[in-house]
Amino acid sequence: MIRALPIAIVIVVVTVLLIIAGLHSTAGAGTVGVASGSALPGFSSRANTPEQALSNFLLDVQRRNWGRAFANTERENANLTETEFAQSWMGVSGGLRSFSNLESYDARPLHATDSDAQMRVRLHWATPVGPVEDVRDFHLVRRGDQWRVVWDETPPRSIPAQIVPVNYLRWDLVTGNAAGAEWGSRNVDSPHVRIVSMNAVDSAEGPVVMGEVVNEDTIPAFVNVNATLVDAAGSAIDDESSFDKILHVLLPKQVSPYRIDFPHVSLSKVKNVRMDVKATLVPASSDPVIGVMDQEIDTDAQGHSVLHGSLQNESGETVNIPHVIASFYDNNGKVIWVSDGYVEHALLPQSIEPFAVELPKSLAGKVQSFHVVVNQYSLAKS
Amino acid sequence: MSWSINTALRNRNLGALVAVLLGALCYSSGQDVALRAPATATAGNPIAIGTSGSGSATFYLIGPSVSLKRDDIQLGQDISLSDKEIQSSGRYLAIVCTNSCSNAAFFVAPAKPSTLTFLAHPSRVPVERGDAISAVAMPFDEFHNLVLTSTTVDFQLAAKGSAPVSHKVQTDGGVAWFRTNSGKAAGVLQMTASLDGVSARRVVQQVASDPCNLRIKGARNPKGISVETEPVRDCAGNPVPDGTIVTFTARNGNQISTVDAPVKQDIARAQISTSGPVVVSAASGVVMGNELRIGGQ
Amino acid sequence: MKAIAKLHFVLLSTITLSFFLAGAMPSIAADSRLDVSLDSTKSAPRQVESLTQKSIVRDYKLAWASLAQALESNSPAPLNGLFEGSASEWLNQRVGGQQRSGLSSRYSNQNHKLQAVFYAQEGDVIELHDTAEYDIEILDGRNTIHTEHVLERYVVLMTPGVDRWVIRQLQSVPQF
Repeated sequence: MIRALPIAIVIVVVTVLLIIAGLHSTAGAGTVGVASGSALPGFSSRANTPEQALSNFLLDVQRRNWGRAFANTERENANLTETEFAQSWMGVSGGLRSFSNLESYDARPLHATDSDAQMRVRLHWATPVGPVEDVRDFHLVRRGDQWRVVWDETPPRSIPAQIVPVNYLRWDLVTGNAAGAEWGSRNVDSPHVRIVSMNAVDSAEGPVVMGEVVNEDTIPAFVNVNATLVDAAGSAIDDESSFDKILHVLLPKQVSPYRIDFPHVSLSKVKNVRMDVKATLVPASSDPVIGVMDQEIDTDAQGHSVLHGSLQNESGETVNIPHVIASFYDNNGKVIWVSDGYVEHALLPQSIEPFAVELPKSLAGKVQSFHVVVNQYSLAKS
Repeated sequence: MSWSINTALRNRNLGALVAVLLGALCYSSGQDVALRAPATATAGNPIAIGTSGSGSATFYLIGPSVSLKRDDIQLGQDISLSDKEIQSSGRYLAIVCTNSCSNAAFFVAPAKPSTLTFLAHPSRVPVERGDAISAVAMPFDEFHNLVLTSTTVDFQLAAKGSAPVSHKVQTDGGVAWFRTNSGKAAGVLQMTASLDGVSARRVVQQVASDPCNLRIKGARNPKGISVETEPVRDCAGNPVPDGTIVTFTARNGNQISTVDAPVKQDIARAQISTSGPVVVSAASGVVMGNELRIGGQ
Repeated sequence: MKAIAKLHFVLLSTITLSFFLAGAMPSIAADSRLDVSLDSTKSAPRQVESLTQKSIVRDYKLAWASLAQALESNSPAPLNGLFEGSASEWLNQRVGGQQRSGLSSRYSNQNHKLQAVFYAQEGDVIELHDTAEYDIEILDGRNTIHTEHVLERYVVLMTPGVDRWVIRQLQSVPQF
């Protein structure tokens, strides 16, 4: 006990020193672990350069310091309010952005003069569905000796108050009392769901199994597709699920794409793929109906092939987190890729939100047609 | 002295006699006990097991759902087993132990059927499908023993608008089964399995098959295009259930717009925002409909 | 003297340990011998797929191993998840009866030859005939009151559970 006392004292002293060092090193710093040049360093009162002005602005956004961020922008729309400005960043009505945090950014100048600059910024958001990237171009102008971000977004369109009748079918699930039920009396079969196509391809991240599944039944189904990669000896190499790359709730006769990724596996070892689709009974509603308009494959400002379009909510219910899943077909009608992406802003009733999902550039030339479905999560139904 | 010797001799003889008698007693206690089990026993019917010998012993009964022990049973008398003790059908082992143990095995057969387990599948079936409906029935007695003797199960199927159909099947190994086609008309199919006054009922929903002759019509309006289907029915004329999804697709050059619209009262409708000339098509599941060309605004 | 005492101690320990192991080993060796085979050539109306055959053999073997364990240890816990319906009820009652009367049963050297005689088209029930051979020992406390090499025939109904096939009916019969 006495011999151990000096050691204990040393441990306590070292711990205190490390705590002090840690506190000092993090004071005023941005995100830990982010490569230099893209972190959010400390706020500087003097925005002498476009980079500094942008950094101040994004730091205020990260800290949700809307008042200061708003005050330091130059607004093209004089009617824009601080609330509308904050909503354009954080979204309204429980959209994905409402639950997200700006982690870091990467910026590069597109052009700069003495009084005008254009910066392309890749924003890294931490969201409940994983990291999401957003690319925006910021226009900055010099006023006196200060640079300011030009904010040119129009305020979100307000939806007029109205009554929208909801008379689409909904299905409820009544499970009854399982205990004491005689064998065979609880005769409600699981929904009949069938995999209509399957295609296994190799990608940079490993083999990918994709295809389409259809609900052949007359009731909704909660669907999951699993795949097992089997080697020449018949042993399973790996098995994975479609996770969120599928429309989980399939209404009667609805078709959904699915995609199953197998990271860290070599396709050369795979001899066979064993597919399994699980479908269970689930309460569901035909509402909301979401139209996917003006879908088109294009090349974005960064040279990526993207399928973009807009989601149109034709019902009276807010879709808090829309999730777009797109399947791409070649000229034989075979599914050659499945992409997905989350729309960061809630889809309000009778309103439109743009979306874009990326497509591997190597496949863009082979795409003959595509089909988009929308997974949706509504807080009201959770 | 001689008296002492005589007494000793007498005592010795008495002792020997006692030893012999004791030995005889032990011998009779250690003798094998014969058990007489009934040749036939039926579940839930009390029986008696005969024993031979005399004295007391310990009785054990081991069966599919029973393990009991009775001390101090009297040999030479019958051992009664109550109806509750031999409810489960199967092999029973009766053991009686004194210094050694004897045993007898016997089988208890199921009683007469009192319930029918009825498995009918599927709970929903498209119309006009061959061998789509499966019915399996298994008779059990009141003690949940599977009745294995061959009996006739009468399967009856009744749908609205059709005459009831009866199908008699012999059980084989305790199971009777058959398969049949689904009907032409959507609706509820009542299925009943019955046997000697015992019956079980199940319901199968006959639902419309895949949409047939999916046809659409549409017109331009200020908001874009309004498209709707004609009443969506299967090839037998049954309307597809409400909620069935019809996917409308409008192509305008390289641009595509789609809406997954549910059928409501036989018709699916959608509003598509597009201004140029479009070609509109519809699909439901794996069934394609006609194409419609609508000019631009 | 010290050496002799030490030798005595070693010998006694060795003998005690040997008795302990000898007591334990036979039951371990016996429990580990449990063979199950399945012939599904006569299954109707549906043929039993090869993956299903493997699952049934695996789950039937596990069920009987658990049954033996439950009846030997007088605990119904090993039966959970492997039996349901009448089979579960009967076995639980038998274990309960053993607990009350101080009996236990020991199953060893099991060999089960299964034949699938009915497999429902929907795959929700399968009927098997099991020609089973095993050694059974019935004990009252520590005293063996009965040992027997048994050849017994069972009619078995199995149904698919959440992640395995479970035994719903296990009924012995004099003949099939």
